Amino acid sequence: MSQIDSRSTQQESGEIARLLSYIALLAVSLGLFLEARAMPRSRFEVLGAGAFPMLVHGCLSLLLVASIIASIRKIPVGAYGVFASAIVTWAREKRLVLFLFLCLAIYVMSMPVIGYPIATLLFLLALQITLAPKTRTAIATAVVLSLIFSYGLNWLFAEVFNVFLPRGR
Amino acid sequence: MDAFLLGASEVLSLTTLAMMLAGAIAGIIAAAIPGFTVTMAIVLTLPLTFTMDALQGISVMLSVYVGGYTGGLISAALLGIPGTPSSVATTFDAFPMARKGEPGRALSLGVWASFFGTIISTIVLIIAAPPLAIFAVRLGPWEYFSLIVFALTIVASLVGNSLQRGLIAALIGLAISTVGADPIMGRPRFDMGWELLAAGLPFLVVLIGIFAISQLASEVEDADAIKRGEKLVDGEIEFKTWAVMREVLMRPVNLIRSSMVGVAIGALPGAGGSIANLVAYDQAKRASKTPEEFGKGTPDGVVASEAGNSATAGGGLIPLISLGIPGSAVDAILMASLMVHGISVGPRLIMDNADLVYGMFLAMAVSSLMMLVVCVLSMRAFLRVAEVPKWVVVPVVLVCCVVGSFALNNRVTDLYLLAAVGLLGYALKALDYPLAPLVLGVILGPIAETNLRRALMTEPDWSLFLTRPVSLVFLVAAVLSVAWAIRGILKSRNEARSGKEPI
Repeated sequence: MSQIDSRSTQQESGEIARLLSYIALLAVSLGLFLEARAMPRSRFEVLGAGAFPMLVHGCLSLLLVASIIASIRKIPVGAYGVFASAIVTWAREKRLVLFLFLCLAIYVMSMPVIGYPIATLLFLLALQITLAPKTRTAIATAVVLSLIFSYGLNWLFAEVFNVFLPRGR
Repeated sequence: MDAFLLGASEVLSLTTLAMMLAGAIAGIIAAAIPGFTVTMAIVLTLPLTFTMDALQGISVMLSVYVGGYTGGLISAALLGIPGTPSSVATTFDAFPMARKGEPGRALSLGVWASFFGTIISTIVLIIAAPPLAIFAVRLGPWEYFSLIVFALTIVASLVGNSLQRGLIAALIGLAISTVGADPIMGRPRFDMGWELLAAGLPFLVVLIGIFAISQLASEVEDADAIKRGEKLVDGEIEFKTWAVMREVLMRPVNLIRSSMVGVAIGALPGAGGSIANLVAYDQAKRASKTPEEFGKGTPDGVVASEAGNSATAGGGLIPLISLGIPGSAVDAILMASLMVHGISVGPRLIMDNADLVYGMFLAMAVSSLMMLVVCVLSMRAFLRVAEVPKWVVVPVVLVCCVVGSFALNNRVTDLYLLAAVGLLGYALKALDYPLAPLVLGVILGPIAETNLRRALMTEPDWSLFLTRPVSLVFLVAAVLSVAWAIRGILKSRNEARSGKEPI
């Protein structure tokens, strides 16, 4: 019974998250619709640069409004109270996904500064060692792979394909 | 006959065959790595062909081309990430099949479907090149726009659990395609003054971010399984070459229909494999007696997608050989390679260089055979990827995605976009939005806008979309397609309702 309850709480929280996504998308879509409307028309064509985006954002906004109404009708009033705790539980369950995106963000931001080989070496080491089982073989494999895909790949691209990956400042 | 024998003698020489073999292997490997495309592999091959004879050079490039169309299948089936844009639909059924414990069968189905798709497209190329090419170039912007409207109706087949969210995803894709310079006048749109957005959102970066990054992030959701060293796919590594060949041949209608879709779309300048695989998949699903099995690992889905995308290789050569018009970026590079050797590409190509054209036809067939041999012999090694634990695959493939995205334009800003789009893709996936319609929107958006505006610039009369026969045919097909989809949805809803009644 408690399993059924937790599943329905999860579904309701998921629906609230979707409702929030509809609202966020609607705000962006309406903003872009207005920006497209303000685009000047060319005298050389019937449709200007803003016509197609207006069509797209107009349809998107209508669809989102319909989705918001349907979603609000679907969500029971009591579900909003448990939404915050459901979000915390979800974030705890998906901690490795959040860590992966954090690593990826730091990796791509640091690449122009420290260069591809060092950034990749650190990224691979950090991610593999976090994800891998804590055994000596796994750690050794992680170190070897990190070296191959950082310095090795950099060498391959520069020497064989004449493509130079970011070198850093 | 003399010209054919002359071309054949050059293509079938030992040196050319050895080089084509190397090309096929390179194409398969390049396309198997997410972020690396067939186009990139061909661009890297081009300088190597300068020292070769014209036919030898173009044969090597064709082998990379054919190998590349198949290579995308490997990561699509084993990782759930389309190795190239032309294998998006392959992920829908090949990946679930691999997850169900049949990775060998999934790959084998794709390889055989690709082989037969290429062979069928080569036969069509030989028979129908001139008339098809003349038809393709007579299409104006009205017909192209109507064709794209028809292609957009595919969304109905890709919506997943919710039609509403599927349509929203498709519209988000179309909206993404409007960022950057407008395709007709070059006016900047929605760039917020950021250099990052000024050039628009590159399609491949969006594709890699949406599919690859979000899929890789999903793989690490279960922290305990990762720590136990869980593999990507558990199951039978057996390739079952001949049994699967029979399985593919037992679906002749699907195979031929998907290949013909690939040829027709390949022959249209500006379209290509990225659309063909989705259209072929959609048609197979609509024609199937068990459409509900699509997306769960049905062989029909794999056959349709792979036969469809591989057949565009032959289709793309139709306007190139008959009229000197390249249908895609890859065909433009092939054309450049011929021009480097002093061969003028145009309607007289087949008259002035018949041996070269016959040689190209033969090279296509030989390339597909080579691809098949390489795949059959090496697929066991590729299947070992499935045995690598997730904690190795996820970080390494992420790095490949980053390198591939950077190498496309040599722009660091593309990497920021990749991370942002990856996060958006994961969020949408977590919220149960289907991702395939979004990608379809990004592909079709610019083609739809360009042709709509070009049509109205040529003649500001909306009725032309209905009075030009080919345009009308596409629009009627679009209406029928939507009606068919609505009928399917209502039918499944009624079935679900009647199924619930006894409970």
